[in-house]
Amino acid sequence: MMLSDEPYRWAEAVANRRDYIEDQIRTGSPVVGVGYEDGILLLTLSQSQQKVFEVYDRLLLAGIGHSTDIENLRQAAIDMAHSIGFNYSEDDVTLRQIVYFGLGPAMKAGFDDVVRSPFLARVLLAELDGQEGAQIFYTVDYDGAFYRHEGCVAVGGVVEADVMMVRELSGLDAEALSLSDAAGAALRAWAIGRWIGKMDEVPTDAEELEQVAGEVDVVDVLVTALKDMEVEAVVLERSQLGKNKYRNVDAEEIAPALAQFKAD
Amino acid sequence: MQSGGDFVDLLRQSGYRFPGENLGDVQSERDLPFEPTDATTILAFQYADGVLVAGDRRATAGNMVLYDRADKVIDLDAYSVMAISGSPSIAFEIARILEHAFQYYRRRLLQEMSLQAKLRRLSLLIKDNLPLAMQGIGAVIPIFATYDQADARGKIYFYDALGAQFESADFTTTGSGSPAIRGAMYYLNRWGGRRFVEMDRDAAIGHALQLLDTASEYDSATGRYERSADIFPSVKTITASGLAEIETEALRELYVQYVDGEEAGRA
Repeated sequence: MMLSDEPYRWAEAVANRRDYIEDQIRTGSPVVGVGYEDGILLLTLSQSQQKVFEVYDRLLLAGIGHSTDIENLRQAAIDMAHSIGFNYSEDDVTLRQIVYFGLGPAMKAGFDDVVRSPFLARVLLAELDGQEGAQIFYTVDYDGAFYRHEGCVAVGGVVEADVMMVRELSGLDAEALSLSDAAGAALRAWAIGRWIGKMDEVPTDAEELEQVAGEVDVVDVLVTALKDMEVEAVVLERSQLGKNKYRNVDAEEIAPALAQFKAD
Repeated sequence: MQSGGDFVDLLRQSGYRFPGENLGDVQSERDLPFEPTDATTILAFQYADGVLVAGDRRATAGNMVLYDRADKVIDLDAYSVMAISGSPSIAFEIARILEHAFQYYRRRLLQEMSLQAKLRRLSLLIKDNLPLAMQGIGAVIPIFATYDQADARGKIYFYDALGAQFESADFTTTGSGSPAIRGAMYYLNRWGGRRFVEMDRDAAIGHALQLLDTASEYDSATGRYERSADIFPSVKTITASGLAEIETEALRELYVQYVDGEEAGRA
């Protein structure tokens, strides 16, 4: 093929593709995942469309990026989970399988195929009480690279935002937090991710980045955002009866966490 | 454009075939007349809070008792159950497909499957099973019970072996023990002093236990309370707050009261 005949142009094409995708994704609303005493909370803010989805009894998926690309990935994950769940058993449906053999390769193939549009999406998945642990998360990047996290996770428009959001969450005791406290922590992390994603120039130097993250006026970012966005909070909750642990969280349940960010 | 919410379609893509589809030309050894195997007793009725569904726990093969812990009232989702009489293998397969189909539809299409669609899915699976049913080895005759949030009441549907579905107004019973109690249910409901729909939870469970005991008195394929192993019939209720399985301790108390004891003498 022509592109691979010329290594320089191939590298340039890949770099262009990365720039294009990152540019499309960067201002999206981050998604934050954090463990709490009764399970896992995924939280984001959005204008109205649903961003956090049920995949299987103990699995959730959320994404940042182009909504139809996220939709295609969501459907692929659901198909895979239900095929395995029926043909083997519910216990055989694991996040690892879905990421390693489903979403990872699919997104990698989309990224590599230069004549087609890539997945303009970064995806976050959560698994409660699976074979790998109690509160497990995976993130899959637009190029198919995936990472495993325990206890907390965050996906924003740029990788630097992910790092700073996770830093904000990392001191928490994910097995002891109340739902409302977990929501409060997730909101603060969201604000940091949102701020960094919207910067014209994101600092590449680690120290500088930490300084920027530390100086974000969290209350101001959230008060502004909550004027035209709504909080979407979904849990996988151990104490739910039955196999299915998915539940939408009512605004009232996290009202104490939200109160400090509401404009009068 | 395809919406993609059909779980059976997904299964077919992965090569799955419903048992009845592949076994169309299998013949049983003898040329048996069509006679559904339905050795059990299942009953369901409306009571004050919703619907009660109960079944005995015995599984038989001819005159042999195979198993005393069979659960014939199978949960499909948080508001519906399927109670089975007939071939357990096919019945469990149907229940498993439906359980996944309801969840798959909700997750994939981001909306709950309507009650009418759920009834239709079950009906189609029974129709798919026709070849096995006609050979007398795989018929399934279920009762589907659910709580209809929109109507704010419990609903009971029963099926014939070809998949036709009927809504039962007050009560229904199927299985080999059902002839022994169908008349008793009618009598109780009409002249028993209280209709089923007026009974509270305890009275409803107590009467279900009495009826299953009656069925087991006359039908050898219906099990009764198994004293040596302490096994009660399965009893489930479906109300506005969802599906609940009645725990052994609660059943024991009501069994003593209604079947053995003080309430036993009066309806």
